[in-house]
Amino acid sequence: MGVMRMGYAHVKVTDMTEAKNHYNGTMGLYETHSDVTPDGAKRVFYKGWDEWDHHSVVLEEGGVGVVKYGWKVEHEADIDDIEAKARTFGLTVERMSKGDNPEIGDGIRFVTPSEHVFEVYHQATAVGTEVGTHNPEVFPRHLVGIGVPALDHSLITTGDVGTMERMLSDVFGFYATERVQTSLDDDHECVGTWMTSNNQIHQMAVIGGPQGKLHHFAFRLEDWNSVGRAADLMTMDDVPIDIGPTRHGITRGQTVYFFDPSGNRNEVFAGGYLAFPDRPTNVWTVDQLGKGIFYHDRELNERFTTVLT
Amino acid sequence: MPTLSIPALDEVVYLEPGETVLSGLYKAGFSYTVGCRRGGCGICKLDVIEGSFSYERPVADTVISTDERTDGTCLSCRAIPESNITIQMREYEVRLVNPLLRQINEKARLRAEALAAAPDTPTTPDAGAGDD
Repeated sequence: MGVMRMGYAHVKVTDMTEAKNHYNGTMGLYETHSDVTPDGAKRVFYKGWDEWDHHSVVLEEGGVGVVKYGWKVEHEADIDDIEAKARTFGLTVERMSKGDNPEIGDGIRFVTPSEHVFEVYHQATAVGTEVGTHNPEVFPRHLVGIGVPALDHSLITTGDVGTMERMLSDVFGFYATERVQTSLDDDHECVGTWMTSNNQIHQMAVIGGPQGKLHHFAFRLEDWNSVGRAADLMTMDDVPIDIGPTRHGITRGQTVYFFDPSGNRNEVFAGGYLAFPDRPTNVWTVDQLGKGIFYHDRELNERFTTVLT
Repeated sequence: MPTLSIPALDEVVYLEPGETVLSGLYKAGFSYTVGCRRGGCGICKLDVIEGSFSYERPVADTVISTDERTDGTCLSCRAIPESNITIQMREYEVRLVNPLLRQINEKARLRAEALAAAPDTPTTPDAGAGDD
């Protein structure tokens, strides 16, 4: 089936101590590994309680923004398939070896038309969820902070959304569940697209903006109640909230946008309807973008299009 | 007790020692365009035209360039004044949004100035001495 999910988001942080307080103490991620790169940058690897692979979030000290994303495919052969499709698309693809990323197997790496680094892999060291698989409890009893179960999706920016949508479609086999267009006419420009490979409402969203930038990466939560509780905990921990709790018109997801201690935007995201490739794509026109992004305020806050890392 | 002057508004704001420019302005009832408030996006930059400040926490090079480290560019969410400073906004001006907080800040500033001006005001007595 190709890409199953965004396996990891690897981001930069300015101060590792503060970042650890946030991603472990407030978000409740489990640290699975830490090391120092050959360049001397500290790294910490995390997973959520309901994730079984070794890590889903990597923090690297020095700067802000996204280093790369890892995409996990179902079969080893999917890597070759995606490599061929990427070359056909015109991308330069390099091989990565087992161990280039700790606990991640062989794969490929390429720079997208949006100037983001994508890695595709099949093998990751299995650590297991925190509740196990044998008669499991429904959540771990001693979660820390918000206790996010898993990484969910990311939103990135590019100068050419249409090309990026075509790449995700041609190379990854993604389809758009929702799209923002300048108009409903044939000559419209696509200014935002929300894409997935399966029933998850979106794995990667792309909106117009500078090349290579991170808008946010998101953690999954169960429902409205947990989104509200997450916001309460952000107040207790003095986490700057960008907006929310509120709902997105696009995806129907319930959300809080907030910032990590380096200024990278995070999100907690719950709900979102089931996606199917044969479901007609929802189309939003830019005049209704405010409602599409923030369903209750119905207008974009001044940070939505300006604050990127 | 650093103060922050905004000539454009003819305002002087009192900051607690160790307080950031952004935090001090908001606590004094002012508002302006800010972003992540954690030194990552650069939206809250303004210019310090008099006085000095420092960053006590790391700021990414992508947010403040080497030149901007010395030309008075102030990432206001991270900058802590080292002296009285005078600021000038860039694209968007500071607005007074909460007059009550402004009034409270004004009183705090006058009190602090009076204390500083008083000759030989007894400060903290030696250990063991009673108060009142």
